[in-house]
Amino acid sequence: MSNNLRLIGIAAVIIIFAGLSGTASEYMLGIGFTLFMYIALAQSWVILSGMTGYISLGHVVFFGSGAYVFVLLWGLVPVWFGVVLSGLVVGIGALIIGYPVLRVRGPYFVILSFGLAELVKNLVLINEARMYMSLRPVFGAPPLADLYIAMLVLAVVATGLTFWIRRSRFGAGLRSIREDEGAAETIGVPVARLKLAAFALSGIIPAMVGAIFIMRSGIFQPGDAFNPIVSFTIVTMAIIGGSDDAPGPLLGVAFLVILQELLWANWPEVYMIILGVLLIGFVLFAPSGIFGWLSAKSSRSEKNAA
Amino acid sequence: MDILLSPQLLAAALITGVLYALISLGLNLIYGTMRLLNVAHGDLVMIGAYIAFIVFSLFNVGPLISMVGAAIICGGLGWLAYKSIFQNLLSNSEILARLEENSLLLFFGISVVVQNLVILFFTADRQGYEYLSAIVEIGDVRLTGARLAVLIVGSLISIAAVLYLRFSLFGLAMNALIQNRDASAVVGINVDRVQMFSLIIGFGITGLAGALISVLEPITPVMGFPYTMSAFVVIILGGLGNLWGGFLAGLLLGFLEIFGVAVTGPEWRSVLVYGIFIGILIFRPQGLLGRGRVAR
Repeated sequence: MSNNLRLIGIAAVIIIFAGLSGTASEYMLGIGFTLFMYIALAQSWVILSGMTGYISLGHVVFFGSGAYVFVLLWGLVPVWFGVVLSGLVVGIGALIIGYPVLRVRGPYFVILSFGLAELVKNLVLINEARMYMSLRPVFGAPPLADLYIAMLVLAVVATGLTFWIRRSRFGAGLRSIREDEGAAETIGVPVARLKLAAFALSGIIPAMVGAIFIMRSGIFQPGDAFNPIVSFTIVTMAIIGGSDDAPGPLLGVAFLVILQELLWANWPEVYMIILGVLLIGFVLFAPSGIFGWLSAKSSRSEKNAA
Repeated sequence: MDILLSPQLLAAALITGVLYALISLGLNLIYGTMRLLNVAHGDLVMIGAYIAFIVFSLFNVGPLISMVGAAIICGGLGWLAYKSIFQNLLSNSEILARLEENSLLLFFGISVVVQNLVILFFTADRQGYEYLSAIVEIGDVRLTGARLAVLIVGSLISIAAVLYLRFSLFGLAMNALIQNRDASAVVGINVDRVQMFSLIIGFGITGLAGALISVLEPITPVMGFPYTMSAFVVIILGGLGNLWGGFLAGLLLGFLEIFGVAVTGPEWRSVLVYGIFIGILIFRPQGLLGRGRVAR
């Protein structure tokens, strides 16, 4: 398939999804919304964790902080400007905390990322309790069809960003950090700056996703907005799909959102057990995920054909 | 400031500290000998607590006896985990290169599965039982009998375990593995055996601690998670793989937590624990007692 054909195909799929916003039922739009939300989140995770190997187990911190900034701004600024502003505020915050946090490497970073998310959650909880706000309603949000389109835009932007970074000089630098940070630094890769840029980039989109999510749920509760299950779902999706390139997370997300849709309402425990078993199975037997496995297979068959 | 000097608070801090020391000992062994990051560690506390609860409801036998059973069952789970997953994993060079991250994801998967299985079988409701609830007075300190028993038994077992691991031949082999895996194989230590027993002992001790904890707090499928976090704080505070350091750090965290909450208020508990944790990771990742080479 030539590149042009592929581009046209992708554009057609996006237009069809966008067109559905006017015709599809609320239920279908809801599923689409969830699908796009997790695509945007998983792709953002890949920018940091897939590329650099700094596995973040607390990506929900960006999602929740974005949502919190957004509810604080609610009513003060126009809605969509508020969404963008939440992304920017969280991005700047990521630049500031990223500097000390990214000096911590390997397994320590993984635990730190988780601890950080829990710390921010508890600080927000205390702050909300002090302001006598255990939950904040968000009244008068735009209709679901608009939120669906906004989430589609974020999913497309996040996927495009991952795709572009993977093929850019920036991405090559990030992946050299994953393979051997010390060696990369020695040959002159500006590792500290690259990591910081990836950290901030991977925070902006989840923050905007969080802001839009709050309009859909209509209420802000710190416990939900900073729910660690969101972090874990993102990691599992990216690992199942394959976290080295943009198509991987798409596969993982599609698979898990369908599974979630089938099981979550009636058998949440069964869903979580399947999630855990899948994570174990993929780490043990297919560490490069569905996409990595497929591309390894196809390159092998091409070699055989030649 | 009178409250800070009260012996009552001191006793509470000691109980928490001893339990943290006991639980983090298992985590430290497993990390030290195999570089496995067991984020399912707190779930062993939960399993131990459920075992004690079930034994008490069925046979009316208290945790001071059922803790032996909890230790044996959890040790058996350690054996199972080693034979089914980690024995192969530790000889697979591709996974070994990123062992810490991979083991973390694996244990995370295990934790999710275990918690949800327990919810399926026992529901997510809080469970609990009455045991030695009469108040005992020692000087100015008033404790329930159960808390006093936990304090005594917990201290004895954690001190015995640290001494055993320090002075027995097997403990020395374990220490050798903690210091240098390759060199221990060269001098003739059976690495495979030591690894297996580290998992068995590490899991067993933690299950035992869980049985003790079952009399102190409500038993739920997710009760283990705060203990996972605290245990990680403790072993990083004490220096990864440093057993005495971990023991002291366990007591220290117990004191910091209890006195910190007494000064600020219960809603600050998590902020305190995570704040100490993040501060240590960023500023002193070799631990309070650690010196020289940073293991990261």
